[in-house]
Amino acid sequence: MKTEEESHVTAYRTYILVWVGLVILTGLTYTVAVGLQAEGWAVLVALAIAGTKSGLVLNYFMHLKSERLTIFKVIIPLVMAVFLVFILLTFSDLAFRGGAK
Amino acid sequence: MALTILRNSQEMSETKEFVFEETKDYTGAKLGMWLFILSELLLFGGMFILYSAYRYKSPADFHHASKELDVILGTINTIILLTSSLSVAVCISAIQKGQRKLSMYLLMVTMVLGLLFLVNKGFEWGTKIEHGIYPNSPVLLARTKGEILFFGLYYVMTGLHGLHVLVGVCVLFVMLILIAKDKINRMHFTPLENSGLYWHLVDIIWIFLYPLFYLIT
Repeated sequence: MKTEEESHVTAYRTYILVWVGLVILTGLTYTVAVGLQAEGWAVLVALAIAGTKSGLVLNYFMHLKSERLTIFKVIIPLVMAVFLVFILLTFSDLAFRGGAK
Repeated sequence: MALTILRNSQEMSETKEFVFEETKDYTGAKLGMWLFILSELLLFGGMFILYSAYRYKSPADFHHASKELDVILGTINTIILLTSSLSVAVCISAIQKGQRKLSMYLLMVTMVLGLLFLVNKGFEWGTKIEHGIYPNSPVLLARTKGEILFFGLYYVMTGLHGLHVLVGVCVLFVMLILIAKDKINRMHFTPLENSGLYWHLVDIIWIFLYPLFYLIT
């Protein structure tokens, strides 16, 4: 078992670079939404950027990238898969419900 | 002679047991925290699905209602939370390196940023309530169904998120006391790390709330 002292220490520089990336991505979300005003795909772009930002937070701030145990790397995709099933079931219900709107 | 050996071995096993209890299950504690975080993600996930379903049904109403939210304040709050995530992450690295003063300072910065987020949120809610827009208000009920749903979801989701920020600030305050008492140091910092994980979770939820409520084009 890994002890606390042996755990990975991330350099301050890495954190600051990730933060800069997150701020740039926030600016990008804002610009895309306010500047482009594109109806259909704008929400997909916004969600893609939000997904990228969460990926940065999970991997660097929450140390998933430097985690050595496989279980930490498996649980997130597993929960996301469960969540996706919920989304698909809800939307297939909404799309095929017919009449009762 | 045999009795002495027996007593010795008994003493040894007692010593062993003592050592076992002193060992802290670092990985187990962190895994437990992750499981809690994932259950929180599904809690908010359910609400995000509800939001998506209603938005899918009345996109125009959601668009109009969203225009009334203060985008600048929402963006400032996003930057505040991202920065607080940075400060808590650096705070943990600092304690791992034994820089106790720096980590305490950064923890205080994180707490102040968290409180600032809540103050902004308070102003935002205050303005909306002043305009008569709050759950079940006559002004809101006179609007279309989609707009009522949008503001209902806005209050519930940002409210629950705000509650998480408040809890996070309290947890970080406890960590600050523990560092001050040297209960958390470079040899033992798992509680601080787990609190940091919780704080990042709060940040991730806001990363999704921000475009979905403030930036509907």
